[in-house]
Amino acid sequence: MTSTASQRALDYLEQLPGTTFTKLYQQPSTALAIFRRMLPHLAKTLVMAILYMPTPLSVSDLETWVKPDHESLQARDRALSILQRLRILFDTHDAAGRAAYKLSDAFARSLRLALTGGGNHRSFGVPCSTPDKTPVSIDYLDTFARKQWEAILYYVVGSASAGLGAEVDISAGTKQLLQKGEFVAMRGRTAHITQAGFTFLLQEINAQIWTLLIVYLEVSSSLQMDPVDVLSFLFTLGSLELGISYSTSNLTPTQQQMLEDLADFGLVYRRTSDDAADRYYPTRLATTLTSDAPALPNASLTSTATGMTTGGAGGASAPQNEKGYIIVETNYRLYAYTSSPLPISILSLFATLHTRYPNLITAKITKSSIHAAITAGITSDQIITYLTTHAHPILRRQQPVLPPTVVDQIRLWQIEGERMTAWRGYLIRDVGSAEEYEKAVAYAEALGVLRKEFKAKGSFFVTRMDQMSGYFKAQAVRKREAIAQREAEARGGGGGAGRK
Amino acid sequence: MAHSDPEYDDHGADDDEDVVVRGRGGRSMASRPKGRAQATWEAAASRNWELQEGADGSIEGVLGGLEEAGKRKRLLKDTTPLQRGIIRHTLLVLDLSDAMNEKDLRPTRHLLTITYTIAFVREYFEQNPISQLGILGMREGLAIRVSDMSGNPNDHITALKQLRSTEPKGNPSLQNALDMARAALYHTPSHGTREVVIVLGALLTSDPGDIHDTIKACIRDRIRVRIIGLAAQMHICAEICRKTNGGDENYYDVAIDEVDYRQQLMAITTPPVLRSTDTEAQKNNQAALLMMGFPSRIVEEKATLCACHGNLTRGGYLCSRCKAKVCNLPATCPTCDLTLILSTHLARSYHHLFPLRNWSEVSWRRARQKGSTQCYGCLSGFPPVPAQQEVADGAEHDQAFARTKRAEGASESSRYECETCGNHFCIDCDVFCHEVVHNCPGCQSRARLPGAQGDGEANGG
Amino acid sequence: MNAVDATDRGAVQQDVEPPSLLTIILDTNPHAWALLADSLPLSKVVANLLVFINAHVAINHANRVAVIASHSERAEWLYPTPTQPRQQHDQANGATHDGDGERADVHPPNDANKYRPFAQLEHALVTNLRRLMTTTTAPSLSTSPATLLAGALTRALAYISKQTAALPTATTSTQFNYSDPSSSTAAGGNDLNTDPTKAHTTLGLTSRILVVSVSGDLADKYIEIMNAIFACQRLSIPIDVLKLAGDPVFLQQAADTTGGIYMHLATPQARAGFLQYLMFAYLPDQTARENLIMPAGEGEGVDFRAACFCHKRIVDVGFVCSICLSIFCEPLADGTCLLCGSHLSMGNYGRNPAVVPKRKKGKGKKRALDSGADTPAGSGGEGTPAPG
Repeated sequence: MTSTASQRALDYLEQLPGTTFTKLYQQPSTALAIFRRMLPHLAKTLVMAILYMPTPLSVSDLETWVKPDHESLQARDRALSILQRLRILFDTHDAAGRAAYKLSDAFARSLRLALTGGGNHRSFGVPCSTPDKTPVSIDYLDTFARKQWEAILYYVVGSASAGLGAEVDISAGTKQLLQKGEFVAMRGRTAHITQAGFTFLLQEINAQIWTLLIVYLEVSSSLQMDPVDVLSFLFTLGSLELGISYSTSNLTPTQQQMLEDLADFGLVYRRTSDDAADRYYPTRLATTLTSDAPALPNASLTSTATGMTTGGAGGASAPQNEKGYIIVETNYRLYAYTSSPLPISILSLFATLHTRYPNLITAKITKSSIHAAITAGITSDQIITYLTTHAHPILRRQQPVLPPTVVDQIRLWQIEGERMTAWRGYLIRDVGSAEEYEKAVAYAEALGVLRKEFKAKGSFFVTRMDQMSGYFKAQAVRKREAIAQREAEARGGGGGAGRK
Repeated sequence: MAHSDPEYDDHGADDDEDVVVRGRGGRSMASRPKGRAQATWEAAASRNWELQEGADGSIEGVLGGLEEAGKRKRLLKDTTPLQRGIIRHTLLVLDLSDAMNEKDLRPTRHLLTITYTIAFVREYFEQNPISQLGILGMREGLAIRVSDMSGNPNDHITALKQLRSTEPKGNPSLQNALDMARAALYHTPSHGTREVVIVLGALLTSDPGDIHDTIKACIRDRIRVRIIGLAAQMHICAEICRKTNGGDENYYDVAIDEVDYRQQLMAITTPPVLRSTDTEAQKNNQAALLMMGFPSRIVEEKATLCACHGNLTRGGYLCSRCKAKVCNLPATCPTCDLTLILSTHLARSYHHLFPLRNWSEVSWRRARQKGSTQCYGCLSGFPPVPAQQEVADGAEHDQAFARTKRAEGASESSRYECETCGNHFCIDCDVFCHEVVHNCPGCQSRARLPGAQGDGEANGG
Repeated sequence: MNAVDATDRGAVQQDVEPPSLLTIILDTNPHAWALLADSLPLSKVVANLLVFINAHVAINHANRVAVIASHSERAEWLYPTPTQPRQQHDQANGATHDGDGERADVHPPNDANKYRPFAQLEHALVTNLRRLMTTTTAPSLSTSPATLLAGALTRALAYISKQTAALPTATTSTQFNYSDPSSSTAAGGNDLNTDPTKAHTTLGLTSRILVVSVSGDLADKYIEIMNAIFACQRLSIPIDVLKLAGDPVFLQQAADTTGGIYMHLATPQARAGFLQYLMFAYLPDQTARENLIMPAGEGEGVDFRAACFCHKRIVDVGFVCSICLSIFCEPLADGTCLLCGSHLSMGNYGRNPAVVPKRKKGKGKKRALDSGADTPAGSGGEGTPAPG
């Protein structure tokens, strides 16, 4: 869960007030989607273990459950941290008064409902009871989704190199959204791609959608749309089945309004013309929203889902999310099996194009091409990630996927230019004794927030503070208790020490 | 090493190919590892030209068939239950002479041999759980003891790992090695086999006396010798193997390359077939019924002393007869001398006793009759049966046959039938069931079989 | 220059947990369930299993499930639904509509309150289970009191092997290749000492088998079960066992050999917590187990007794034929091995067993043993006093 999109989604969710969470977790589909999409693996295991437990799980029990090696402890701390940030797990005390964890009531109830079925929440989408007069095939939905989404990408790319996608038409709302998200910046009347825009472009498609949707969420709250409505509808979309039409009847007005925007993105398909206006089809972009397995193009649903084996193959014009098409050689040559202008224009951002054949283009990664990309705001990591996610199956067979020389060289080219990196964060100093300092640093490292420690000065730098402050508070409490106990012992003459 | 450069030697290339053919047959000199490697490669490439296009001009079906046929070829060995002398006594003799420093097998013959031997030891005890193994070395004209006869793989592996740091030196002596092996095997009980496996890198043997006397002594002691050469064929090796194996010439071979070397070594781990002479010998010597204990593992609250080493341990195995605690299996109970063994060790070799019978190819006609649409084991779909009339009509039948004709051994309908339970399986399950599970999913899934007198007997019920 | 360190190259992909295939073998032996009806009826177990399966599917989008019923007289798929082989009377229709014809009827009712994949799975499973139960006839029940666990295990393994092979992975080349011993890992997959956790991370699909067992008597199929267990061990597929009733012998060995979890819910109180046991102990897949201390296994003893071939008794001291290693529970009457037919001397079994001596041991013992074997009148060994 380190992909930028998930991180952003997490950050967005985290800043929501607690009541929003309670409302969100009323919907089983939301609980399920958050469980599936946002949590690290160990956290999922943990949640499931506690889910049907009648009493809270005491901290010491958890400690005996997790292996004591460094890696496991780190995984545990990260899992706990994310669970607490998402208001899923709370500290509490068990019957014996020991510290313990329990799940948020609303979340636990909803997740149990999701697993067992039942209730009357209708959050997994209401399928249309009547068959559509003109049924829509999955192929058609795929084509539609691709067309819509690529139009957005064209717009972003087109703003990089004018003339390429200028005539592509996307709705004004989407354009605004792209500006709000700072993917493009308007200078005069023409749009120019920004660094965030490049990041956006080079992500794999699932992450792109999330990035855009987060922006949508941020914007929507300023438009007086209820974020709970918006979010739960998004999560509902993720649990729908491809190729089935759903009824709009139980949607809130906010959600009705959203349908239109989502249709612009290509997430849902609906016909407004005829009598079919009360039904909508989710496209593949929507149904894979809560899937976190982009590496498995065809296994996007459990094997029960229909049309899984053939549905994904959209032919040569389906470059993204389907299968890789780029081959990189150790001599920096790059071959891309594509005829679609979109990937070509993306490639041209950081590689020098050489020849173009009907289904293949050849290019070369050069110092100047990388430098051009870096000056445009693309980072080497973005380029490498892009090449990796779109690597041809032949490349994927080897480990590492990309030739190490090329990867290293791209990074070196970037480093030539920049020798400083800036992080926002917090400097923690005056921690106390050397031992306490060590402990605090170890804790920060386990959380994954430690950036740098300055051992000689006894201070260290973290990127996130909330967990750390909780830690220090707990430490302070413990210290005070210890002092109090010592005093009590001193007073009682070492006779019957009161508290443990 | 004989090394003739093909550029200056017109016959170089021809020689190479000959070597391959004869080398496999186990007769003539095999030489020049590089040349051999190339020749094998050439052989593989030349096969591709023999591909016949299908009637519709595509070779895809034929290729698929070839692949399937290749998979099945490995399977179609004889599965009639054989008596195998499963309690084996094997002495592995490693060449530790100068010749092992050659780098034709990477990294060197010596290091590769040690790596492979470690794998061999593990596999040997997997396949032959209650057998004994010992390791000797040939170095500076002497035979040296690397590890004693024992049933514990870890003893051997530790000893082998120590060999890594020693440098191969001097000449090997086959006679000394054989004599030492003979002595080591002399006391082994008669119900087991006596085998000597020699890995020989050198092209010479420097012996103190007449090796033929030693060979005769080996024959007298029922010792079978098997030699894997790493360089070239030697007449004396061929003779040793032939004579000690009752005239069978298949026990001497030269490894072509690393892969071949490994395969040859691993092939030895399969329990050998008993020859009739052996069986007679066995009869004379009375195979024994051994009493064995299958102790269960226990965990104790407090550590107690184990009977075998006198160490404090908190768990172990209690002898089934006298309840003495031993810490490792297999072992002989130090108190009452009962052989203690994990039943799982024995069970590992049962698939040799009850091999799964080969499955037969299924014709379209048969497929239609059964109406099978998916593999019984893994539920993957079969190609559909062609329409009826096509097959019914004689002439068209040929045509259909021609179209779907596939390589020898592959089934035209991609189905394979277990003759006991009559279920159809795909090629993957065929290979998987015969090589890994050794069970038939069909036979095991029905209490009573359709055709059924032998109630899973074919599978060893 | 830290950023150019080669170590973080593959880091991006490691984040995605490999999908996991959970194969559940449900022992549906009616005899055993009848005994359990008071404390834990089958219906409740199925309901709890469904929650468990849903939880498994919920954890990862790519997770898969297969369920096999190990019934009294056959082992049958519950999920995925197999297509029934068409019998001869179908012949007239020709074979134009192969494939999915039979699957069409498993569509569940539309329900907006249930995640559709869950609904489909449950519907298929329950339908198949019901079909299995209705097709069970009284005579077939009376003849076979046991359960066909060996068949279920074998079918599960065949399915797992196919699924593992079929899954397109980024690291196909590192997959375990059992048919070509020359490739891949050092000992052709038989190497016990290779770190199993390493294998998991490179595999595209991690698989495990969960056996929910109620029947005791499995000795009939001892060899077949052992074969399946070793196959699991080779493929590093753990067999988790949740035992509700019956004696544990072979399943405990299975869990121990393959590194799975073994638990026995012997009391009604323990059985009441069936779901919690499932969710806590059995839900974590291999990826999670790397970080968790799993219950049992090392914690307690393991019963390693074997079944004899002659009477299918479970024994802790047996007689083993030196030729074929068959196990017998008592010395053979005529001295002929029942399986390989070799004539066996039963010599000094009662007093001093004919053991394969260790080389290290004293010379005297060996010699005594050898000389004993060399005497032609071996069969009279019973009369001679044990040497040494």
